[in-house]
Order: sequence, then C-alpha cells, then structure tokens
Amino acid sequence: MDILSNLALGFGVAVTLQNLAYCFIGVFLGTLIGVLPGIGPVATVAMLLPLTFNLNPATAMIMLAGIYYGAQYGGSTTAILVNIPGESSSVVTTIDGHAMAKQGRAGPALGIAAIASFVAGSIATLVVALFSPPLAEIALKFQPADYFSLMVFGLVGAVVLARGSIRKAVAMVVLGLLLGLVGSDVNSGVIRFTFGIPALAEGISFAALAMGMFGVAEVIYNLEQRAAERQVVVGGIGRVMPSLADLRQCIWSVARGTGLGSLLGILPGGGALLSSFAAYTVEKKVARAPKNFGDGDIRGVAAPEAANNAGAQTSFIPMLTLGVPSNPTMALMIGALMIQGIQPGPQAMLQRPELFWGIVASMWIGNLFLLLLNLPLVGLWVRLLAVPYRLLFPAILMFCCIGVYSINNNPFDLFQLVVFSALGYVLLKLGCEPAPLILGLVLGPMMEEYLRRALLISLGDPMVLITSPLSAAFLMAALALLVSIAIPAIRTQREVAMKE
Amino acid sequence: MRVAAGLLCALLAVACGSPVQAQSYPTKPLRLIVPYAPGGFADVAARIVAEKLQQRLGQQVIVENRSGGNGFIGTTAGAKASPDGYTLLVAHTGEFAVSPAVFKDIPFELERDFESITMISIAPLLVAANAKSPIQSIPDLIKTAKAKPNAVGMGTPGTASINHLAGEWFADAAGIKLLHVPYKGGAPAGVAVAAGEVPMGVMAISSVMAQIQAGRVKPLAVTTAKRSAQYKDWPTLQEVGNVKDVDASIWTGLFAPKGTPKPILDRLHAEMVAILAMPDVREKFAQGGADTGGMSPAEFVAIIKREAAAYRTIVEKANIKPE
Repeated sequence: MDILSNLALGFGVAVTLQNLAYCFIGVFLGTLIGVLPGIGPVATVAMLLPLTFNLNPATAMIMLAGIYYGAQYGGSTTAILVNIPGESSSVVTTIDGHAMAKQGRAGPALGIAAIASFVAGSIATLVVALFSPPLAEIALKFQPADYFSLMVFGLVGAVVLARGSIRKAVAMVVLGLLLGLVGSDVNSGVIRFTFGIPALAEGISFAALAMGMFGVAEVIYNLEQRAAERQVVVGGIGRVMPSLADLRQCIWSVARGTGLGSLLGILPGGGALLSSFAAYTVEKKVARAPKNFGDGDIRGVAAPEAANNAGAQTSFIPMLTLGVPSNPTMALMIGALMIQGIQPGPQAMLQRPELFWGIVASMWIGNLFLLLLNLPLVGLWVRLLAVPYRLLFPAILMFCCIGVYSINNNPFDLFQLVVFSALGYVLLKLGCEPAPLILGLVLGPMMEEYLRRALLISLGDPMVLITSPLSAAFLMAALALLVSIAIPAIRTQREVAMKE
Repeated sequence: MRVAAGLLCALLAVACGSPVQAQSYPTKPLRLIVPYAPGGFADVAARIVAEKLQQRLGQQVIVENRSGGNGFIGTTAGAKASPDGYTLLVAHTGEFAVSPAVFKDIPFELERDFESITMISIAPLLVAANAKSPIQSIPDLIKTAKAKPNAVGMGTPGTASINHLAGEWFADAAGIKLLHVPYKGGAPAGVAVAAGEVPMGVMAISSVMAQIQAGRVKPLAVTTAKRSAQYKDWPTLQEVGNVKDVDASIWTGLFAPKGTPKPILDRLHAEMVAILAMPDVREKFAQGGADTGGMSPAEFVAIIKREAAAYRTIVEKANIKPE
C-alpha cells in the first residue's frame, strides 16, 4: 500500500490552491504555445525560468511540466487545422489530421486528438507512478548498438508513412538523411557541409525545415489556387465532436499508441520522438482496412496523438529517477531544479518524495485540465478555418517567422526557413511527402552517432549489432517490416508485367 | 538640515564610489548573452548571477541564449555588441582557453574584443568510473590502460571539450593511451558511465552527482591541483596518479565588449564581487561542485592565458585536430 500513501502525498501537494493554479497556468500556456506554430516549450520554459526562482520547487516543476505536455496537446491543433507541425511529434498528425480537416471533419479530428491524449496521458501517468524505478533500469540497459537498431527500425517504418509512391518515400528518407549530416560530427568534431557558416555547425534547424516544408510551402500552394478554392476547409465545418462510431473505431488505436508511447518515452534521446511515428506505422500495419490511412483516417490521428502524449509523460522517468534529460525542455527543467539547489536523480526521489509524487499527481490533474480546456475550444478552433484565407495566411507566416527566430535568436534561421519553404513547394509539386524526410533528418544523425559509438567501443567489431539481444530483435523486426512492405510492391509490379 | 543633507551626499558618494556616468548606469534592462542552450553549465551560472544583479542594479537582467557553432555565434554577438554596459557575455573555459588551442579560425579574441570583468565560478572536473567496472582507482586505471593501450573507453561530453583535453592531459602525463568516446553533452556521457557503456569518463561534477549518490558511479579523482572545497575526500590526480602539473578546471566568467567605459566595468566588478560573496549564491554554486570567483580582471586574464597555453601543448601532443 506504499503506492497509495505515496499518491496521497502527491495529491496532497498537487491539490493546493497555489499548485492547482500554477498547473493550470502551465497547461494553458502549453496549449497556447503548442497552437502557435514554432514557438516551442524550450523557448517558453527558458523565458519563464526566472519566475520560478521564487516559487517552491514542486510548484515550479508542476508549472514547467504542464507547459511541456500541454504543448503536445496544442501542437496537434495546428497540425490538423493548417498542416504545420509545431513539434516533431506532431508531424505524423498532419497526415491524416489535415486530410480530415480538408474533408470538413476538423472537429472530430481535434476531438479525438484531445480524447486520445487524455486517455494516454492518464495511463502513462499511472505507469510513471507505478514503475518508474524498474523502467529507469531498462533505459540504462540500452547500449549504443541497441539504439542504432531501434533507429533502423524507425527508418524502415518511415517508408510506411508514405501515402503514395514507395520509391518517392525512400528518396525523401535519403534526402532527410543527407540533410541530417550537416553540422559537427560527434566522433571527430569535424564540421561537415556547413560552407563555413557557423550557424550550421550544430545542424540544420529542425523548426525551420518543418515549418518551411509543411507550413509555408502549403501557404504558397494554396495561394496558387483561385480565391474561391483557397478555403482550407472544403464544404462546411461539419460535426464538432467525434461520433460514438468514431470512438469505437479508435479504442484499440489509442491503446496501442499508449503502449508504444509509454515504452519508447522512457529512452533518453529520441525515444519519445519515435513514438508517434512508430504508433502510426504499427497502426497502418495492424488496423483493419488500412487503405484509408493518409486520406483522413481517424485512427491515424488517435494513435500518434496517444503515443506522443504517453511518451511525453514517461519521458519524465529518466529525468526524475536518473537525473537524465531526454530532450532540451527536460534539460532546462533540470537547470531550474539545480538553481533551486536540488540535484534531480535517485536521491532527490528518496529525500524529497513530495517533489516526485507532487509532479506525478499534478500530471494527471494537468491532463484533466487539458481535456476540459480543449474540448470546448474545438468548436472555436474549427471556426478559425472559416476566416478568409487572405487574413489567415499572413498570420501563419508571421507566427512561423517568430517561432523559428525564437529558438536561437538567430536571423540566419529565417534564411533557412526561406530555403526550405522553396524546397517544400517544389517537393509538393512533385508529389513527394515531407514526413519521411523529417524522420530521416531527425533519425539520421542519431543513427550515425550510435553506430559509430557502438563500433568505437567494440573496437571495430560489427558483431556487436547481432550479439546484443535487444539490437538483434530490432533488426529482425526491421527486416520483417521491410519484407511486408516489399512483398505487395513486388506483387503489383509482377502483375503489371504479366499484363503487358 | 544642511549637515544632514551633506551627510547624505557623502554617504551616497561612498556607496557608489564612482563618477556620474556610473551613477546613472543602468537606465534600461541588461542582456547577458550565453552562447549555449538553456540548462547548461554557463547558463545556470548566468541565471544565478542575473537574479542578483537585477536586485542590485534595479534593472531587469535578461539571460539570452544564443547557442550554436560551438559557442562561436553567441560569443561573436557579445564581441560585436555596443560597448555601453547593457550587453554582457557569460562564457566558459571553452571559448577563451580551449577553442583557441583547437580551432584555426576563430572570429573573436579575448584581449582584442573583450573586457574581462571577473570569474563567476570554477569547478574541478572529475575522473569517475562505473561502480561495477574492475577499475576502482586511478592506479587501477593506469595499470589496465598500460596492459591494453587504446582499449579502455573514456567518455566525455565531446571531442575537443575541456573534459576531453583534461583526460588527454592526464593520459599523457601518466604515459597511457585511452580510447576516447565522445558523447553529445555531459548528461549522456554521465549516463554512459553509469550504465557501464564505457568503464570511465571525465565529467563535470554536476553531470554525475546524481549517479554518484545512487552508487552507480565511483569518483576516482579531481583534475585540479587542489582538492574541491565541497568534496574534500576526493583525491586529486596529482596525489594518486603520480602525474605532475595536471590542473584542469571548468570556469565561467563575465565579459563586456571591448571599449565599455571603465566606470561601468568597475561598477559591474564591484557588484559581482559582492554577489559572489553572498552565502546563498555560494551555496547554489556549491551544489554543482563549484566555487565562486571574484578576482580582479588582470588576475582573471592571467589565468585564462596560462590555461590557453597549457591546452595548446596538450592539443599538439594528443593530436586533437577536428579541422
């Protein structure tokens, strides 16, 4: 009954007027910055950091954590409505979510995103409460070879993201991998493909690329259409809430997404990011009648949204139990705690249980706030689509620029935005999809880093990739996925050949 | 009445102790540029100091992270800012002692572009090992590495990081060859040592403290010539490694663009000395294993120059050439 007394302690901390208020402020701000394209939790947390110095550490963390997972909720809104992923985790949501919006089903898409996120967030919070220490041990078991093989699996999965041609999807993944090579090489420190521009030394700006390729390219494409056809939503606004049939269809998608997200979220470095991609891939392979995926299948919104929110919650496990940040926002939160004189980690969990359990309890409360905040807002957001495009697009462009600039305060990032907008437009015209490119860009550098580190430590012996059971399992899974993609493609080709 | 007014004037003059220019300074918010992402060593130092400066100067002090390009972007921005005392730079060992030794073309130079105000904090680095690894002491490490040259993995937060250079310094002095395994930052490197991915590493104390408390990582020795004030039972490399001269640390410092008026520099220096002596400030730095600075600008520059020369020798000997 230890867990019950701990949870009671946690709720005792979280359910005070002050902490409830800060939790609400956190998730509200999180939703807001999530909706605004580009302005991410990192910039927001950095700006609010000085405010937290005078707060009690638990209160500060409750608010900062709220911003982080609140942004995951908000990010889906922009992805669905205007096809701009604010965070890498909402890239996949654009695929089916925006397709639904174009069909006049923006309401149910937003609704299911909020509901799936809430369910996943609640379950994942329970996972954090019950299994944090053992899960943290698992995270420590992951060696470089295992990470590499996990990334390989993720990249093969990227091909499944494609709506149309597999060949084009492969080309996009490869282009993403190439773009990912720009910047310092972790192993030797050599700076590659930067043409002497210092701003590129740490790689291409993910935000500039994502916003250019999705957001700005889409805006240019829309402006090309005649004014009457420019409206984002074809037809009326439609139903605002998902129907019972929608919900029934999504139950298992949400469950699978939650499971995957919770598992991958605990891996420091890239785990949480992979979760939404992995959930979509699995869904497309497992679900009945997967043909609709890419054309506005509600399960294609439910699964990745569940996964990214579950991953956001469980990514607190390495931070709270090991003191290891799994992404830049977490690093900032660790900084906030250190300024308060607390070293996050296993000792903090024992010495300051009220901090750990208070944060856990607040996560559940925060998720509830988010659901209450987001469901009534769905109608409002949908109505935003009725705003004439000539008013909407300047606002989109402006927020994209602010968002990209706010990350490093570097004007060069805006040039990157321009370049990737142009590239995105060309690719859109060619029918090539940006989602696999993004996954290649994000996973490529990590894959290289882990592979080279695995080989460095094994003194050059590649067998380490097979002798580690985890790594071998991921490679097998990747191979199986590859075969399952290749067989239908080969079969169709043969049929075509036979006809001729 | 006149006496009272005169006294007040005298008091004010003593309190400020500087000409008119500095008395009116500051009249608008200050920016502290940190050339790294939020949450890092330099950022935390900047934020601790910014909070106190804000209280004492009566103006907002904003920490602005200009990360990217190994710290070059933010540092260059600091060098090019107008020298009016409203834009300052918080840099660390990397920019002025390590980078000049490693990189050929650097867009800034300490004495050409900056006025050094003072050191903010200084901390030793820690040579630490996985608690379950057979290496449990510095003599163990030297013995194992001598038996298997270039095979004992040494985790660091990156190639040509101060940690890497400190590790090579020790290896060179001890006559051993270690296998350098770079990570992307201190936190992943700390986890790698905790997980046993590499048997040992050279870490900032703050990146491995949690793992040391959890018993996963064992501290072997600090890289400075003197023991850490906070962790007195950790020996130094010089004591247990039979190595002379090895003395590496990571510091943060406050800098202003070249040409900032002397009265403003003096005022900032005086405020910093007062802030760095405050018990709560010292306590916050102590958490991360750091001591506070506060020496005169001339002393600070002398330290930086001495370190830069030492690192240049290490870089040549260990042949660290990223370009």
